[in-house]
Amino acid sequence: MTTRFERQLEELHVQIITMGSLCEKVIAFSAKAIQGVNCSKEIFDTDREIDAKEREIENICMRLLLHQQPVARDLREISAALKMISDMERIGDQAADIADLARFIDRNSVEIPKEIEKMADQTVRMVTESIDSFVKADLDLCRKVINDDDMVDESFEQVKTELTEMIYHRSIDAKMALDLLMTAKYMERIGDHAVNIAEWVEYSITGIHRNNEHQNRTGGIIN
Amino acid sequence: MTKKIFKSTVLVSASVLILGIAFVLGILYQYFGKQLDTELAREASYLAYGVEQQGEEYLQQLKDTDSRITYIGEDGTVIYDNEADAAEMENHKDREEFQEALATGAGEAQRMSSTLSEKTVYYAKRLSDNSVLRVSSTQYSAFALVLQLIQPVLCIIFVMLILAGVFASKIAGKIVEPINELDLEKPDENEIYEEVAPLLGKINRQNRQIRTQLEEARRNQEEFSIITENMQEGLLVIDSYTMILSGNSSAWKIFQVDKPGTGRSVYSLDRNEDFRKVIETVLEGKHGSALLHLDNEFVQLIANPVNRDGKTVGAVLLLMNETEKVQRENLRREFSANVSHELKTPLTSISGFAEIIQDGFVKEEDVKKFAGRIYKEAQRLIQLVEDTIRISQLDEGENPYEWENIDLYTVAKDVCGNLNEAAKKKNVHLYIEGERLICRTVRPILEEILYNLCDNGIKYNKDNGIVSILIKDLGNEVQLSVEDNGIGIPREDRKRVFERFYRVDKSHSKEIGGTGLGLSIVKHGVTFLGGTLNLVSEVDKGTEITVTLPKNKSEK
Repeated sequence: MTTRFERQLEELHVQIITMGSLCEKVIAFSAKAIQGVNCSKEIFDTDREIDAKEREIENICMRLLLHQQPVARDLREISAALKMISDMERIGDQAADIADLARFIDRNSVEIPKEIEKMADQTVRMVTESIDSFVKADLDLCRKVINDDDMVDESFEQVKTELTEMIYHRSIDAKMALDLLMTAKYMERIGDHAVNIAEWVEYSITGIHRNNEHQNRTGGIIN
Repeated sequence: MTKKIFKSTVLVSASVLILGIAFVLGILYQYFGKQLDTELAREASYLAYGVEQQGEEYLQQLKDTDSRITYIGEDGTVIYDNEADAAEMENHKDREEFQEALATGAGEAQRMSSTLSEKTVYYAKRLSDNSVLRVSSTQYSAFALVLQLIQPVLCIIFVMLILAGVFASKIAGKIVEPINELDLEKPDENEIYEEVAPLLGKINRQNRQIRTQLEEARRNQEEFSIITENMQEGLLVIDSYTMILSGNSSAWKIFQVDKPGTGRSVYSLDRNEDFRKVIETVLEGKHGSALLHLDNEFVQLIANPVNRDGKTVGAVLLLMNETEKVQRENLRREFSANVSHELKTPLTSISGFAEIIQDGFVKEEDVKKFAGRIYKEAQRLIQLVEDTIRISQLDEGENPYEWENIDLYTVAKDVCGNLNEAAKKKNVHLYIEGERLICRTVRPILEEILYNLCDNGIKYNKDNGIVSILIKDLGNEVQLSVEDNGIGIPREDRKRVFERFYRVDKSHSKEIGGTGLGLSIVKHGVTFLGGTLNLVSEVDKGTEITVTLPKNKSEK
């Protein structure tokens, strides 16, 4: 027999999965937008949906916290959920920003660095995996996402170098180069958010958050 | 039960004890009262005798007597009293015992003292001179007697009650013990009070009923799981909160989860938008279906709501893997697109040439040239249609020819003979390796296979290239391989070259000619003959296609 509390907790779970799925959708669209497919409308719509979902999940969390006064693991899960949804909401915003920029990128006049598309693929995968890790409570997958961030960071550096080179050789319009750089930066940020989500998933499973661990360690050195 | 038995036993013994004591006391009191009366009467008789003989003096010389003796005259005046001064005593004429004695010769009376604690019993006897001698004795009343005895009686009651309690608890325990030790699994085998037997019989009947019900439930469960576990389709049952209530192993396999997801939300299996939409629709009470795309697999999802009392309480989801169907559909779509394109190209040329001639734009001497072109395109068209028909026939398994024993070497030689011209044109050399080998097969189909393979080997070859046919005996099977050292097939195309109209080099295919159906015919032909195909190729090095056929295939 499931209690009311368990039922509500499971509803929270379902809502987070739904929101995660919306995030996956929005950034898959933004990856398409970079490739020149016009799908800004879908992106903006989904972004709005994500924002609404965030409110909804916040409400569920607050209700749970106030009415049920959860402790231990349940409390950890709810607080992790509250943190995760803000990261997811940021992913939606950044995907919308990418869609905004994609409108100004003229694919005919310039060859877009291959690395940006690679970045898009990587971030899509990271977001999917971070949400997968939440759904399956998979610690290994969390750690994989956290480690994968380095790859995205590297790709960003490479895009930067490539674009600098192109500007230097005047083979690209400087304005467009900046737009492309911004796009890459947004991708890189989305990767960071995916890492954040993975970290919170890790926290809700193990009870230890990486940042805290890190702070404790530095604190130890000072003492 | 023990408590109840204990309580009743104690209560019964206590009441019996108290009643017993009360009765005994009452009887004793009565008995002693009577005893006293007789004693008084006897004493009075003695005294009366004495007084009759000696008169009042007799009474005066009596010293130690417990009773009070009063000598009353006939008129009621007290003549003598041994405890009080006779002169001061009032007249006793109206006393009950006095009057009774005067009347009947003897009288009796009892009077309670003012405190009720004492009772005085009087006995009067009339003497011969009509005077009356009264003897009286004071005794305790029943009430006083009880009050005096209360301490020992209470002590006895208390001790008795303790004893009764101890015994009662022992007895209660003894009575209940066999009931506690009943074996309810086998109620029949117990030997116990006959009053309990009906209860045991009832328990026995119920036990049997429960067992049959459990058995039935287990069998139902087993049947259900046999049905669902052997289904190729995935089956999921969810409640109205999207929780998975049950599912079969096919469902877990389709969603690629290792352990059953029972008890979790169905969204943890797939959170795709299409999927969520279907779940939402079905939980609103409407039928829903969708084609899901899960990692290169196409899964048809059919969802039906479960309604109870007009409310949707859950849903049943059926998942069917339709990857093959979808792929086949794609192939068919591609095929019809290809076929129309391939048919249209020569037709457009024919129609174009014919139009020019019709409009008279062509010089008289050029008409022949144009007619030749029209003829060539028409030939191509016929070839195409023939090939398509051939494939369809092979596809359907139709065989207009007969199975016979054929020498493979002769077939290969004939095929080479037919292709000699083409090979010479491209400067390619043809070789046959092997010897006579008899095999039961269908000659025209085998010829077609070899022809197409060699034709390809010649067409897609380099200048001064080589195409060789190898015939090998593998015991029960024969192996025919056609090897060339031509341009080879790129890795990504190797899987698709056997598809209809598939061409590696899309742009130049016109120059080389052919319909794009050659290898497809080979594949279908080999399948028809019950053999297998193997392709080994390296770009710029050459291609080797090996056909393995059974020597004695059972005919259809």
